[in-house]
This record gives sequence, C-alpha cells and structure tokens, in this order.
Amino acid sequence: MTRHKGLALSFVLVLLAAASPAAHARESDLSAQAGKCLRCHAKEGIRTNFPEDGESVPARVILADFKASAHGMLDCTACHTAYLQGGHPKKRFRSRERFRAATTSACRGCHSNGQIGGNPIHASFLARESEGESPVCTDCHQAHSMTPVSGGKIFTNEKQYCMSCHRYQMDMICRNKERISLKVDLSELETFAHDKLRCSDCHFGFSREEHPKRTFRSRRDYTVASSESCRRCHFDKYTKTLDSVHYAILSQGNLKAPVCNDCHGAHGIAHVSHTVKGRVLTTQKCRKCHAQVYEMYSRSVHGKALMDDQNQDVPICIDCHTTHDIQNPLTLEYHERIPQMCGNCHANPSVVAKYGLSTDVLKTYLADFHGVTLGFYKRQREKLYKPARPIAVCTDCHGTHSITGTGSSSSPTVKANLVKRCQKCHPDANENFPNAWLFHYKPSPSKHPLIFILNTAYRIFLPIMVIGLILQVLLHVWRYAVNR
Amino acid sequence: MKGNPAGGERMIRRFSRLRIFEHWGIVLCTLILFATGLSQRFWHLDFSQWLILKMGGIDNVRWIHRYAGGFFSLGLILNVVVAVAGVVRGKWAPSMFITKKDFSDAVENMKYYFGLDDQPAKCDRYDYMEKFEYWTILMGGFLMILTGAVLWFPILVTKILPGEIIPAAKALHSNEALLIFLINALWHIINAVFSPEVFPLDTSIFTGYISRERMAREHPIELAKLDEGTPE
Repeated sequence: MTRHKGLALSFVLVLLAAASPAAHARESDLSAQAGKCLRCHAKEGIRTNFPEDGESVPARVILADFKASAHGMLDCTACHTAYLQGGHPKKRFRSRERFRAATTSACRGCHSNGQIGGNPIHASFLARESEGESPVCTDCHQAHSMTPVSGGKIFTNEKQYCMSCHRYQMDMICRNKERISLKVDLSELETFAHDKLRCSDCHFGFSREEHPKRTFRSRRDYTVASSESCRRCHFDKYTKTLDSVHYAILSQGNLKAPVCNDCHGAHGIAHVSHTVKGRVLTTQKCRKCHAQVYEMYSRSVHGKALMDDQNQDVPICIDCHTTHDIQNPLTLEYHERIPQMCGNCHANPSVVAKYGLSTDVLKTYLADFHGVTLGFYKRQREKLYKPARPIAVCTDCHGTHSITGTGSSSSPTVKANLVKRCQKCHPDANENFPNAWLFHYKPSPSKHPLIFILNTAYRIFLPIMVIGLILQVLLHVWRYAVNR
Repeated sequence: MKGNPAGGERMIRRFSRLRIFEHWGIVLCTLILFATGLSQRFWHLDFSQWLILKMGGIDNVRWIHRYAGGFFSLGLILNVVVAVAGVVRGKWAPSMFITKKDFSDAVENMKYYFGLDDQPAKCDRYDYMEKFEYWTILMGGFLMILTGAVLWFPILVTKILPGEIIPAAKALHSNEALLIFLINALWHIINAVFSPEVFPLDTSIFTGYISRERMAREHPIELAKLDEGTPE
C-alpha cells in the first residue's frame, strides 16, 4: 500500500513539473556564470561611471526580471563579450553615448537587419540609421528584462502592450521625409475624454498580433487619414461635417482644411467645457487657421468681455458659425440667417437686459424695410427665385468680428460713421440719410416724437372716423326701415 | 340732358364718359394699390405673405405698387386740372366745393334720422357725404402721392430734406392708406352697394344714368335746376 502511494506521488510530481510555467524552468536554466555575475550585479545602487562625460548608468540586474526575460537563459558574456576572458576590466567606455552604441552592436550581433527589418518600427529605425542616426535598441527593449516577441504575457492590457514601445521617442518617416512622432504621453491620454478606450479602438487594424506597415505621403495625409477613426463612434458629428464648408474644401483636394483632430487633438481630447476657460480654448482652436479673424474678435466688445472680464454671455466663434456643420459665411443663405443669430442673445432679456441693452433690436429690424424685405427673400428663395441682392443685416452696420459697443466713439453705428455703412449699398446717400433709420427705437415722446405724434393721431382719428361712418350708415338704414 | 335709351324718359344723364372712365381708372388703381400696399403694411399676416408670393415676390409687388401709384397720380392730377379748367372757363359749376349748406344739410339729415324732421336735407348735385368722400380721397390721394414719392426716392429726398422725413412719410403713407381704405371699403361700398335705395348696385357711375325718382329724392335741387334748364 505504502509503495503504491509513493508511486502515485511520484507521478503527480512529474505531471506538476511538466505543467509548471516557463519561468520556473528558466530559474534552473540560469547559467552558473550569470549566477556568479549576479552576486555583485543584483545589489541595489551598483552603477557604471563614464569618465569623459561624468555620467553613469545603473549596472544592477534584477534577478526576477532577468530570469523572466527572453534572454534569461543566456550567459552575461553573450552580450557583455568583453568579460569573456574571465577578467573584469574597469572603465571600458569613456562616455554614455559610446556605451549605448556598444550595447546596440551587441544586440545586432544576434538580431540581424533581415530579422528585425520586417517590423515596420524597426524598418523606420533602419531607414533613419541609413541617414546617419544611431538608434539604440535598449531605448525600447529593456536591457535585462526584454520579453519574448510572441509572449507579451507581462502586459495586463492592450494599452500597456502598445505603450511598451510608444512611450519612447520614435518617428514615422513620410514619403516627403516629414517625421511624425509616434511617442504617446500616457498620462495625457488618461486625463482626457478617451481614457477608457483601447488603442485599437481608434487605431483599428493594429493589435498585439498585427502591426501593419503604413506609409503616408506627408504628415498632413496622416492627420487627415487618422481623423477617419472618429466617425466609428461619433457618426452624428461626422455626418454633420459632411455638410460643412471645411469638408467642402477638403473634398476639393485642399488638405489644409481642418479635420477632427485639428480641433480636438488626438490623444489629448478634452471633454466639452462650457466654462470661460473652455470657451477661450475653443476660440484658440479656430485661431490656428483664422488668426486675423481672431485678432479682430479679441479686440471686439465680445472678445474683450470674454478674455478680460471672463464673461460667459458673449458669443464665441461656434455660437454663430456652429461647430461641425460650419457653413460658408459668404453665402446669401448664411447672410440672411444673421439677424436670427444675433437675436438669439440680443432679443433674449435673460442675456442682454443686465447690460442695459434693448431687446427690441430684432423686432425693430424685422419690422423695418430691410427686415421685411429679408423675410420675404428668405421665403421667396424656397418658392420663387433666388434674390441676387443682399439686404443689410445686423453685421452690415455693426460689423462682424470687429463689432464694438454703440457707446464707443469709434463705433461705426454712431451717426457720423453710419453714413459710410449706408453708402456701401446706397452710394449716393449723404449725411442726412442715416436719420431715415430709427436706430432700433420704437417711436415715443422722447425718441422720434414726430413719428410718435403722427402714429398716435391716426390711432385716435381712425376709430372715431370709422365709428362715425358706421353710425351714419346705421341711422340711414334705420330711418329707411322706419319710413317703410 | 338726354334720356337713357334703355331706361326711357325717366332716366337722367348724371355722369359723362370721362367720369365713367375716370372712375374705372380709380377703381383699378386703388384695388392694385390696396392689394400691393396693405399687404406690405400688414406683412406679418399669413394672407399678406401668400398674396405677395402669388404676385411674384416682394420686389415685384413694390414695382407694381409704384407703377399703379404713378397711374393714380396721373389720374388725380388730371381730375384736378380738368375740374379747375372747367370751373375757370365757366363751363362747370363748382358743384364739388364745400359750402355752408353742406354743414346745415348734415345737421338736417341728423335731425331727420332721429325723427326730429320729416324730410331729409335737400341736396344739390353732390350731397355732403359724396363731397366728404371725394375730398378725403382727393386730399388723402395727394398726401399719398407726396409721401409715396418720398419713399420711392429716399436718397434724392434726403439730399435736400432731413432724414427724419423718410420715417415720417412712411408713417403718413401707411396710416393714410388705412384711412382711405376704410372710407372706401366701408363708406363708399356701403353707400354704392348695400344702401337700401340702390341695392344691389348703384349703376349710375357705370352707365352714366340715374333714375328721375332717385334724382328727386337724393338731388332735388339739381333736378329742379335741370328742369328749369340751368346748365350743370
């Protein structure tokens, strides 16, 4: 019975030994020579100093990491060939750079260009090498703890796997020789909106198994192509952009037109922010291409209030131009929408009343010649014909990005300057002409009293007249009936 | 005064062909002016917007309004020139002039309506109501022509006059238009169509003839003059 038990135990032990992890097997594989070196080099704080530049590198090897690494079964001298003879020469390298170059040639002794060149990252490094640069293997692959290419078992998720290379500075070289940095700042990625995403959610086609080689004509080509990833999740926004002026320009072959990442960034995509800081940042995004407009805006009554007073009531670029379906502002259709855009704030008492601004501006405009004509042109566009004549809207008198308060002396809306605005459409107008406009005021005893008196007189006189006439008719009919 | 061939001896010629033509001219002009003008004044109403779009859009409507205004002005000026010439040359009696009798006629008629008098006022060729209508349209018409011209040529006008004249002209033009419209629609149409004496239509301005009975009732003084052979 005891003999049978002993046999069974031996069998189980053999099975367990066969099923134990590779690392377990490697521990026994650690060479005697490596064990000898590690007697000193496993100690904390051990460093190698370079006399020429005064720099140093750690010379410590962490036993567990080394044992788990792809090279765990190698002798130290397989790479550190200078120690093959058994001695321990000191201060072999004069500088850190020389040391780094030597470590790379040690790697390349086993890993030939042909072997590593199939990987697009390596191919890029080899290309750079031919241009005179000196890529260093250990910048990406940890010296004593590199993992097997196919293993990857030490990575708990895809992001870690990708970051094992992409945390280092490396460039993709475009056909026009432009370089695109492939370094990813994980800390940036994790503080922004896409922190929960996997790399392959955006970089589709890339995984632990696949890393296709892609080359782009230029840096810009890469940016435009990579913005295609966004639509996989943000399809509503993407479809809106198809109607935008930016997309129209892009589809004409002009790659300067902005795409998603130009405004939103790539890894540092922020959450939508309605704070003043967020709104200022939004204007900065537009500034990248529309610098002149931004300068005008920043000097305007709206821009100053935003930037100097941190005022959230004032409009920023996207409040008028919208975000994704940005229309061409030079079209008649856009021009005709302007009163409504301005009216969104200027006819809203909760926005402008606290600044002492009248909310009658939209009503008074729409009820006057220009507003009425504009209203009909908008309707006619749908039913009759496209009016060729633009009608003056808010911005034609007040300005667009450079808009100033009406109280300012340089304001184009003050009477002295207004005639110049009138003359844009009515070239023969003289300085009397602007007074034909009631300046958004409703006639009252204090503002435009003549018009107020005329309207009031008719308002009183008309009903009296009508009532009198009706009475006369009724009396006539009544008398006629009585006589019969 | 010739008798109407259709009406026999009892019909009396009241309006010449010139007046019939003039009336048609005014009817057409005012209809066009009211349609194109009031739809602009009440632009916010759905009906106005429908009408303006049916007439080819706001620019078309404005041009139609201006041309119709031009014809109306021509008609009005001709009316005054012909009338003044007729009176000055002694061919016509100044029958449309407002006299003291018109005021006393109005008072008399009021008394009659309230049963204080048995007879209505005895009127001449034009009673006080017709004169009121004529003068409101004539004076209103000239005001409309003047203010309409100001609104048509604002740049030219402001070369001489202050800019405020434009909104003032607009206020006068649109208010006066409403006044004329109400006088025409209410007063004239009721008198010429729905008045019990003439219903369904006072045809005298279209045929030029009026019955002797109506003349005796409405214009007894003129009838008496006609019978005496006094020229009109």
